[in-house]
Amino acid sequence: MRINEHPVLGGYPKGEAVAFTFDGARLSGYAGEPVAMALKAAGVFIHRYTRKNHSPRGIFCAIGRCTDCVMIVNGRPNVRTCITPLAADMDVRTQYGMGAKHAAL
Amino acid sequence: MLQDRTKNTGGFSPAPDDGLIICRCEEITKGEIRRAIQDGLLTLTELRRFLRAGMGLCQGQTCGRLVKSILARELGVPPAALEPVVSRAPVRPVEMQVLARDQEIDHD
Amino acid sequence: MQRCDLIVIGAGPAGLSAAVEAARQGMRVTVYDENARPGGQLFKQIHKFFGSREHKAKIRGIRIGEELLQEASAAGVQVELDAVVTGIFADKEVTVRQGERMLRRKADTLIIATGASENMTSFENWTLPGVIGAGAAQTMMNLHGVRPGEKILMLGSGNVGLVVGFQLLQAGCQVVAVADALPGIGGYGVHAAKLARCGVPFYTAHTIVRAEGVERVTGAVIGAIDQNWHIVPDSEKHFDVDTICLAVGLSPMSRLCGLAGCVMEDNPQKAGLVPVVDALGETSVPGIFAAGDVSGIEEASSAMIEGRIAGLAAAHRMGFMASSALDARLAELTGALASLRAGMFAPGSKGKVFTHTAEGCALSASLLRRGFVADEEIDRYPGVTRARGVHPVLECTQNIPCNPCADACPRQCITVGADGGTITALPVFDAARGCTGCGLCVAACSGQAIFLVDEEAGEITLPYEFLPLPQKGEQGMALGRDGQPVCPAEVVAVRTSAAFDKTNLLTIRVPAEYAGRARFYRKER
Repeated sequence: MRINEHPVLGGYPKGEAVAFTFDGARLSGYAGEPVAMALKAAGVFIHRYTRKNHSPRGIFCAIGRCTDCVMIVNGRPNVRTCITPLAADMDVRTQYGMGAKHAAL
Repeated sequence: MLQDRTKNTGGFSPAPDDGLIICRCEEITKGEIRRAIQDGLLTLTELRRFLRAGMGLCQGQTCGRLVKSILARELGVPPAALEPVVSRAPVRPVEMQVLARDQEIDHD
Repeated sequence: MQRCDLIVIGAGPAGLSAAVEAARQGMRVTVYDENARPGGQLFKQIHKFFGSREHKAKIRGIRIGEELLQEASAAGVQVELDAVVTGIFADKEVTVRQGERMLRRKADTLIIATGASENMTSFENWTLPGVIGAGAAQTMMNLHGVRPGEKILMLGSGNVGLVVGFQLLQAGCQVVAVADALPGIGGYGVHAAKLARCGVPFYTAHTIVRAEGVERVTGAVIGAIDQNWHIVPDSEKHFDVDTICLAVGLSPMSRLCGLAGCVMEDNPQKAGLVPVVDALGETSVPGIFAAGDVSGIEEASSAMIEGRIAGLAAAHRMGFMASSALDARLAELTGALASLRAGMFAPGSKGKVFTHTAEGCALSASLLRRGFVADEEIDRYPGVTRARGVHPVLECTQNIPCNPCADACPRQCITVGADGGTITALPVFDAARGCTGCGLCVAACSGQAIFLVDEEAGEITLPYEFLPLPQKGEQGMALGRDGQPVCPAEVVAVRTSAAFDKTNLLTIRVPAEYAGRARFYRKER
C-alpha cells in the first residue's frame, strides 16, 4: 500500500521505523505518521465495531473530523487514529462500542 | 421563522431504504428520522435533541446535510428554507477534564 | 488574557493570505489551526493551478503552500497548530483547545477562514471500511504516501472527483469508473479528459446502489437513474473494488460564524449556510471577517485573494493602513478576483446551462457525458488547427479562467483573449510566429490539454505525469481521447526539465493518418 516513488512528489519524508502492537500483534510503521496510515500500510482496515449495531468502521475522512477511525491507544479510548502520530511501542487496540471488547459484551 | 405545526405531512409510511444509517456516530437510521418527523419533530434542532442524530463525536459534520434533506423532503420544502441548527460552543468535542482546566490555567 | 491585533482562524490558503497581508501592515497576528500542519488543503493539491500569472497559475498547490508559509514567517505571523478554536464569544474572545489546555484569547479583529467540509451521500453499506471521502484519499496518498486502495470507484465528477481521480492514477491505483448522478460531468472538461484518455470510463446519470462486502468493501453496484431519481430497472452494474471514494461536493464550515452572531444566509450559489459579507469580507459583526470557502465554495485561488482583501481590510479598520493605500491594493485584488469569477464554471454561472462557448463553438456533448471530446467534434475549436511542421494543438473547449499557455510561449504563438480580452477565452495559435516545438506550453497547461503535433511526421508530444517513465525507442500503443487503442506507437523522445515542473513531455510516432487521434501512450500493446 505504500507508494515508493511518486511522479510529482518523488519520495515522502519518513520518520524512524518503529514497532507497535495492534491487538497484541507486532507491526511496524514510521514514527510521526498517523497511526491509521501505519495500520493501513500493514493491511488493517477495521478500527472499531460500533456500539449499537456492532458494525465495522475504518478510515473515512482521514482528517480528524468524522471520528470513525477511533481506537483504544495506550489504554485511552476514542483516539482519532488518523491524526494521532505513531510512536514506538504504542499499544493500539480495536475499539468495541466505547471501550475494550469485554465492556461491550 | 415559526414552524407551521398544523401542516399535514402525510404520516409515516415505510420505505425500502428506512434501514439506511444516516448519523454514523449515533447509528440513527433514515426510518427513525422520518418517523420522528411524522411524530411532530419538525425542526433540525428538535430532531437532534430527540434522536441524538448529529450529537455524537463528530457533532453532525457528516450527517447534518443528510438530515436536513430528509426533513426538507418530508415537509415538502427546499432545504435552504429550513431553520439552521443553532451553533453552540464547543464546536468540536472536548473532554470534560480539558474543559475543566479552562478556569484554572489561563487567566494571564 | 493574551491579546493581539488580529486572530485568524484557519491556516489554509485564505487564512494564511489574510495573516500575511495584515502582518505586513504592522498588525500582531496569530493564526490558529486545528491541524498538525499549516496550509489547509494546499499540500494535498499536487496539480498545477488554473488562472493567470497573478493567480499563481501553472504552479502546483504544494509549491504555493510553501511560498505562503515563507511569506507568513517573513511577515512575523504567529501560527499556532493543533489549536482548535471551539468558540467565539462577546467582544471577539475566542476559546482555543491546544493539547490538554483550553486557552482564552482576544483580538481587535477576527478573520474566520475555516474552509469547507466534505458532503457525504448515504447508500446501502456506506459505513463499511473502504468507503472514504475524496479528501481522505488525497490525504493518504499525497501527504502520507499510502495508497487508499488498489481498485477504486469514484463517486462524483466535480473538480474534486476528477482531480483526485487523476491523482489516484498517479499514485498507482486503478480507477474503475467515475459515476455521477447528474446527466453531465460537473468539473472542468480538461480534468475529465485526462482521466478518459487513460481509459477511465464515466457513468453520468448513474448513482451508487450499494457497497458490497461484510467486513470491508469488496465491490460496488451502480445504476442508471431516471428523471425522478429512480434506478432504471436492469441498469445495475457491478465493479470489483476495494475502495469507494465520495466526492459529492463541499459545504462551508461556517459554524463559528453563527456562534459569533454573524447574520447568516443559506445560499445554494455558495453551497450552503454562509455569513453575509460585504465586498471586503466583513460580516454583519463589525471587525469580524470571513474569507475563503467558509463564505462560499470556490477554488483555492479565489480563497487566497479573498484572504488578502480581508487582511488588508482588517488592517485598515484598526488604523494600520491609510484609505488611499487600501484602495490601491483593492483595485488590483478585486480585478484579479473578478477575472477568476468569470466563465462557464463561475459561481455566478451555477445552474445556467451552456450550449456554446463565448466564441460561439458548440460545446462537446461527448465531453459532458463521457469525459472526452469525440474525434468528430474536436476540429470545431479555435485552438485545434493543422499547420506545416510541429505546432501546438490546443484542445481547450470550455471557457475557464486560465492562460498559462499564452504566458509560457517564448514566441507569443498563443493568445488567450487578444487585445485585453478575458482569460476565459479559448486559446488561439498563430502559425506565422513560428512554433519551435519547445514544449513549454504543453507543460504549462494546467489542464494537460495541449499537444505538439507534426501531422506529416506522425509525431505527437504529450504531457506525461506517471511512473515509470517510458524510454526512448520503446514500442507501445497509442490511445485515443477515449482511452481506447488507436494504433501502435514508438516513443521517439522523452523530455524532462525543471521548467516543465514534473510534467514530462513524451513524443510518440504513429502512422501519419493517426496524428489527429493519438493522445496518450501505454506501454502494453
